[in-house]
Amino acid sequence: MVAAAEGPPEFVRDIQPLLVQHCYPCHAGEAAESGLRLDIKSEAFRGGDGHGPAIVPGEPMASPLVRFARGDEPGFEMPPLEAEVPSLNDAERALLTAWVAAGADWPDGVDTATLVDRRDHWAFRRVSRPAVPVVSESDWPRGPIDAFILARLEASGLSPSPEADRRTWIRRVTLDLTGLPPTIEEVQAFVADAADGAHERVVDRLLASPRYGERYAQHWLDTVRYADTHGYEVNTERANAWPYRDWVIAALNADLSYDRFVREQLVGDAYGLDEATGFLVTAAVLLPGQIGADDASKRLARQEALSDIIINVSDTFLGLSVGCARCHDHKFDPVSQRDYYTLQAFLSGVRYEERPFFSPAAEEARERVQELTPRVEALAKELAAIEEAAKGNEAPAEPPPRVAELEAEKQRLTQQINAETARTMVFAGSFHEPDVVRLLHRGDPEQPGEELLPRSLSAFDQQLTPVALSSNASEQTRRLALADWITHPAHPLTSRVIVNRIWQWHFGTGLVESASDFGRNGTLPSHPELLDWLADWFVADGWSLKRLHREIVLSATYRQASEPVSQAAVASDADCRLLWRFPPRRLEAEAIRDSMLAVSGRLNLEMGGRGFDLFGSRGGLSGFPPIETFGPEGRRRMIYAHKIRMEKESVFGAFDCPDAGQTLARRRRSTTPIQALNLFNSPFTIDEAHAFADRVTADVAAVTAESDSEGNHDRSEQLVRRAFEVALTRLPDEEEQAAAEGVVHEHGLAMLCRVLLNTNEFLFLP
Amino acid sequence: MNRSLSFAGMQLLDRRGFLGQTASGLGGVALASLLAEERLLAAEPIRPQVDPATPHAPRPPHFAAKAKNVLVIFCAGAVSQLETWDWKPELVKWDGKPLPGGPEVTFQGPAGNLARPQYAFRPRGQTGKMVSDLIPHLAELTDRCAFVHSLTSRTNTHGPAENFLSTGSAFDGFPSLGAWVTYALGSENQDLPAFVSILDPRGVPQASSNNWGPGFLPAEFQGTTLSASEPVRHLTVAGGVTPAADEAAQRLLKHLNERHLAEHPSDGALAARIASYELAARMQLSMPEVGSLADETPFTLTAYGAEDPNPTKAAFARNCILARRLIERGVRFVQLFNGAYASGGELNWDGHHKLKEQYDRHAMILDQPVAALIRDLEQRGLLDETLVVWCTEFGRMPFFQKGALGRDHNPDGFTCWMTGAGVRQGVSHGATDELGVKAVDNVLSLYDFNATILHLLGLDHTRLSYLHNGFERRLTDVHGHVIREILA
Repeated sequence: MVAAAEGPPEFVRDIQPLLVQHCYPCHAGEAAESGLRLDIKSEAFRGGDGHGPAIVPGEPMASPLVRFARGDEPGFEMPPLEAEVPSLNDAERALLTAWVAAGADWPDGVDTATLVDRRDHWAFRRVSRPAVPVVSESDWPRGPIDAFILARLEASGLSPSPEADRRTWIRRVTLDLTGLPPTIEEVQAFVADAADGAHERVVDRLLASPRYGERYAQHWLDTVRYADTHGYEVNTERANAWPYRDWVIAALNADLSYDRFVREQLVGDAYGLDEATGFLVTAAVLLPGQIGADDASKRLARQEALSDIIINVSDTFLGLSVGCARCHDHKFDPVSQRDYYTLQAFLSGVRYEERPFFSPAAEEARERVQELTPRVEALAKELAAIEEAAKGNEAPAEPPPRVAELEAEKQRLTQQINAETARTMVFAGSFHEPDVVRLLHRGDPEQPGEELLPRSLSAFDQQLTPVALSSNASEQTRRLALADWITHPAHPLTSRVIVNRIWQWHFGTGLVESASDFGRNGTLPSHPELLDWLADWFVADGWSLKRLHREIVLSATYRQASEPVSQAAVASDADCRLLWRFPPRRLEAEAIRDSMLAVSGRLNLEMGGRGFDLFGSRGGLSGFPPIETFGPEGRRRMIYAHKIRMEKESVFGAFDCPDAGQTLARRRRSTTPIQALNLFNSPFTIDEAHAFADRVTADVAAVTAESDSEGNHDRSEQLVRRAFEVALTRLPDEEEQAAAEGVVHEHGLAMLCRVLLNTNEFLFLP
Repeated sequence: MNRSLSFAGMQLLDRRGFLGQTASGLGGVALASLLAEERLLAAEPIRPQVDPATPHAPRPPHFAAKAKNVLVIFCAGAVSQLETWDWKPELVKWDGKPLPGGPEVTFQGPAGNLARPQYAFRPRGQTGKMVSDLIPHLAELTDRCAFVHSLTSRTNTHGPAENFLSTGSAFDGFPSLGAWVTYALGSENQDLPAFVSILDPRGVPQASSNNWGPGFLPAEFQGTTLSASEPVRHLTVAGGVTPAADEAAQRLLKHLNERHLAEHPSDGALAARIASYELAARMQLSMPEVGSLADETPFTLTAYGAEDPNPTKAAFARNCILARRLIERGVRFVQLFNGAYASGGELNWDGHHKLKEQYDRHAMILDQPVAALIRDLEQRGLLDETLVVWCTEFGRMPFFQKGALGRDHNPDGFTCWMTGAGVRQGVSHGATDELGVKAVDNVLSLYDFNATILHLLGLDHTRLSYLHNGFERRLTDVHGHVIREILA
């Protein structure tokens, strides 16, 4: 390989083999280290991150390729020892040097790879509505969704599963849409409803229930990593973040059109909806005083806070991971470092801080503070006067009763004022004069480059009219312009990303598995035509999430049984990507806790407001001692809990509760012995098992009091039947009945209730 | 990128073999053919194959491992290198003088004058390594240790810096070292958690559960927290349930779940949940045994200081014994905390204002128990297969803070060390400048330190990865080089 021939080195004969051996292990193909590819001529000459052109023809000593290979540059000796790739020997170094000195002649057409246009990617193309496919089993589809699913199954030689029985479907759709199990009465009514449209009536009832918004808001809050503490260093309480959580729930319940839903989160302040902009500041952040006193630390903290906003916007709405372009051009997607900072320029006026809240409720609170304040002042005066009068008096052993009364009233009113004052503040986007944005070398605020102005991502200039603003564009104008661009009906990502998220929340897996990454490193859609059909239909239909849910849960695809009946399908598609059955899955932590409370009869359905406590502390450093037993406030739905960032609830946290550290596209579903210990042994479970038993006993007593005047004989048979009905919405079979009665006889009904709350059947979306 | 597999398939449920090859690397011929296909990654990721029913089953490393298990001794609050392992005689001469060209303001405020090491240093062992009198017991072990004096962190703030040390990212939400290791290797003992974090008796460290969190890895790889005084939560049933009732409940649950499984055959998640209750039952038996120090000899208890009149030291010493008991039973990754959260330096090593006064107290708690632990591991032959790591999130400045008797945060040059399996003994690698302002010789990052830990466990840090939000995430991000100079 090193046999030097006559004349100057020749690229294909002398240089390329050397690059293949020593450089390509790290600097070829997509994962080019430090952005440098040496397998493509144009890329090699362009160079990698931060070193300029790798090859300067005629000037070997100015060419990083040569200098690094010769070991002239401390810290950049190539190949690094670490790579376990042989170093160049002296002859090879001489060859490389000579080739560059002679002009670095790299003929065209000899590269081992070609550069692909990264903009040419399925998800970046405009959405168009594909034709609904024709299928053989033509009486199976109930609508276009089913036709697309069936066409793909037929093409793979598979067929759909039979329809699930009505009990299973209503349990599935109720858990799915509300996060709570149906009652046995709801199941019985539906099973008995022989009239047309029974399924539709169930779905309409569920979508109209406020429980729907609570359920789907949890999915959304996962995505945007919402929490009620600041995270990081001291994880202090973020006391007034919850108006954003309540806004999400209300927006979903009201079926706010999705484009509007996006817009309000970016620029809700323009519509009198400050709390919606809580979206911008969901990330963990270092507050003033938690950052180093030196300026460099402050600049770094500010840049990181801004990066988190960019990540939230791009991951959540666009399904595009832009965050890495802060430091270097995106390795896979057509997002340059420049693009990153032009995007940041739309948002560089956003700050994380509690600020006055302008909403009707906040105005009312302000008025009440104004009403109450003079009364407290008057009380203070009166008390002072009494004290003054008492001074001259020699022997007032006890204060007159009037003082205690006044003190109590003053204290009560002061507390009320404090509570009302808290309602006048919100932790949501706080808007200031935009920071000047500069391209930062390697993302480092200490290495600023040229100033950049707000501009939409350049990769989409073909599909959408670019949005570009001047430096004097006001802060709100910038966010409005960004919202316009993201919610443009022709945006290729916005609609695809949300219909895919909704699909994922119904089926457990999206048509695109990487729900927050539609880029070139994400997964390809399992059903690309269906995804586009849904995206196009969704926008044309007015961006209604509820109508999208309805379309999905009423489909034949969603109605399939979940038992894996077809061995052929199990063998060829175990992950059920083609949806030859409904894929069952374990419920999420919140749905488990809420369902346990629903079954025990103690679920407190109070909505909204300040979160209830799962820990003995609402934020700070000294740890989070878990609360183990709860009163009515603690039996609200778990979405109303005060969410501590990075701290998992002591029983349900182990069920893959997200920690709100990073945006989360999709929950994991792990299975651990710690989960088993928590769910089987915790005081919460034992308490609810007892409440569940009491409820069952009362239910049975109420029925038997009517039908059975003798009373007082053994009711374990009815108790077991009722417990199964309540928890599993079905009756036990004979064997189960016998086994359960045995436990009830020996150890009491609560033991059976504890077991039922731990069964797979209770914990799985069937 | 291997796109032919699903996420779930790639990450958890797939039962195919490892995607990548093991250590052999890619030969020249194979390389060329791969290049022809234009499929080459610099390092093809290796995503461990995890059976959901037995997520902690032992899994093979990428190449022959030097260490089977890891014990990380984590000193929270940033231990001053200048009062412990990094001897700076020049600093004595400069005592009380300003640092020429030094910063006016550091993390917490204005900088004061240079201050001499607050403890005397003397040569130790065969190597004559200079170590301070602050830690006399640990100082006796220096012949066994490999010191890295030139470490740097990306941040000078405790929380993010603990994140960076434990997860390779200053941000919240990334998997901890212990989670990565148990994700890669599982554990030798199926009756105990694979990854245990033992909390300091004074409280939780600054970044709290980030230090043992799973980040975006599956929850089964999270560290289980306990200490000698606080056992695993919910290990026994609440509320006066009799053992007979408990057993009957377990039997009935198994019965109901198995009938349900019969109707849903080949559903791995259902089977895994049944198995998880069996694992839990085994933990109920094994955890009290490992947590009880009743069978420790008086000699051992005394050697560790477990009966010291200082209750914090005694409690920490008991944690040290617990750490040994866990390692002895094959727990893969044990994290032992010394020090809690920032508290004006009262509860951890954050000596901003009264460094000497506070370090006198903190060192008393750390020194004897940890030295006894390492000796005990050695005597039981466990050091041959256990890597012991002593670390702290950053170092401290050579000058005092203005108007104070303590040092501010210094992420630019600090010391950590390792000993045990695969570690070169009695070596000191890298150096800070003569005053200890920053690393100047063989400057290294914590990425390198973490890469080295993985290497000793037989793992290639560039290939151990998990696909998350479109990124092939690694403990070392896109950085890190194994510090070969400290390998045996």
